[in-house]
Amino acid sequence: MIANFISIPVMLLLSVLQSTAISRITLMHGSADLILIAVACWGVKEKGYNAFIWALVGGLFIALNSAMPFYIPIASYIFVALLAKLLFGRIWQSPILMLIVVVFAGTLFQHLISIFYLQVNGVNAGIIYSLQNITLPSLLLNLFFIFPMYVIISDLRQWVFPGDDYE
Amino acid sequence: MKPVSPNTLRNAVVVFLIVGILFLALSGFLRPVLGVVMDPFVAAQRWLSERFMAVYDFFTLPRDVTELIQRNSELEDEVANLQSQIIQLQEQLQEADILYSLLDYARSRPADQYTAAAVIGRDPSPFLQYIIIDHGSDDGIRYGMPVVTQQGLVGRVEAVTASAARVQLISDAQSTVNVTLQTQDADALVEGSISGDITLAMLNQNVSLNTGDILLTSGLGGNYPSDILVGQVVDIQKTENELFQTAYVQPVVDFETLRAVLVITNFQTTNISPLTNETAR
Repeated sequence: MIANFISIPVMLLLSVLQSTAISRITLMHGSADLILIAVACWGVKEKGYNAFIWALVGGLFIALNSAMPFYIPIASYIFVALLAKLLFGRIWQSPILMLIVVVFAGTLFQHLISIFYLQVNGVNAGIIYSLQNITLPSLLLNLFFIFPMYVIISDLRQWVFPGDDYE
Repeated sequence: MKPVSPNTLRNAVVVFLIVGILFLALSGFLRPVLGVVMDPFVAAQRWLSERFMAVYDFFTLPRDVTELIQRNSELEDEVANLQSQIIQLQEQLQEADILYSLLDYARSRPADQYTAAAVIGRDPSPFLQYIIIDHGSDDGIRYGMPVVTQQGLVGRVEAVTASAARVQLISDAQSTVNVTLQTQDADALVEGSISGDITLAMLNQNVSLNTGDILLTSGLGGNYPSDILVGQVVDIQKTENELFQTAYVQPVVDFETLRAVLVITNFQTTNISPLTNETAR
């Protein structure tokens, strides 16, 4: 229960940080997504438990700031949480490797549904151009932020559930 | 005549000698002699002083170092405080410069009413070009209001809360602005893209477009006031078999470094959707 409540201030802080600072740090036209990375880290650390609540809370906070329809960030983050739950302990035991896979697939999923939404709404969003100039740089930035976020989320989890580790 | 006594004569000789020596000394004639006499004393005094100061430093230096370290620490703190103040003042100066520029722009267009707002965020999605400003419906901001800077057009308010608003930039992929060429009577559209680049579209092939042409809002469509600077043509793409010519446009506003904007609060957007063909059908 406490993990669900702790998601609210954490996601609020991350969404503010995302909007004010991280969105301005761009590589080509891509930018990192702290919420997605945080959901993935929590999902990996928590065997997927509570990660759905984190995804929902994070998605709602991002939807407040973004002009994208609310269901796109929420769907993306829930996909990440689901992926973390499904993959936990199945492919590699190392959480970092699993985290990279989850963030990679989550970013790709999020961008593909964003491109699909834009194309449905009449925007000329070329898929190859978008993947090359937005998705790939965003992936790189997300991978860059994985390690610091993983350390922060690990400490946070240790603080919330002391002495309890799934690894 | 009374004879001069030997004492008087001796005194007179002494006075005469003293006056003479003083005269010679003041005239500078005794300098070589004084040098010869004084130099050994000065040398001895210097030697003694140096040894004394060495011994004095030996006993007093540790105390001074401690004092110096403490003083250095105090000065470093003071320097840090002053640097922090300098940074704050520079920030305030930059903000003041921006606000003065915005004020100048507002004064140059007295017919419009403006509300200045700070840019506090960007859209988290990299596919969208939106900014978030720190003024909302409590400050009189309404949906559709145009947003400008002293340089030119920024976009329009797309969503409003009580204390903040989201502004769609003209570089957003879903943004279109009706523009006209400054030097010719020709209307066209400026469209954004997912990359944030803006292009000129729907410009008649007969229009002679040149690199460097200035684009202004035309006011058509009722979304923006007329005669606001939008950008400059940088690269023309004209193909014979196309209906319209297109061009890349360099926006006059640098959207990456936007810090403050002006919202035109007395502009009434016109809803022309009932008149368009799609609705009529």
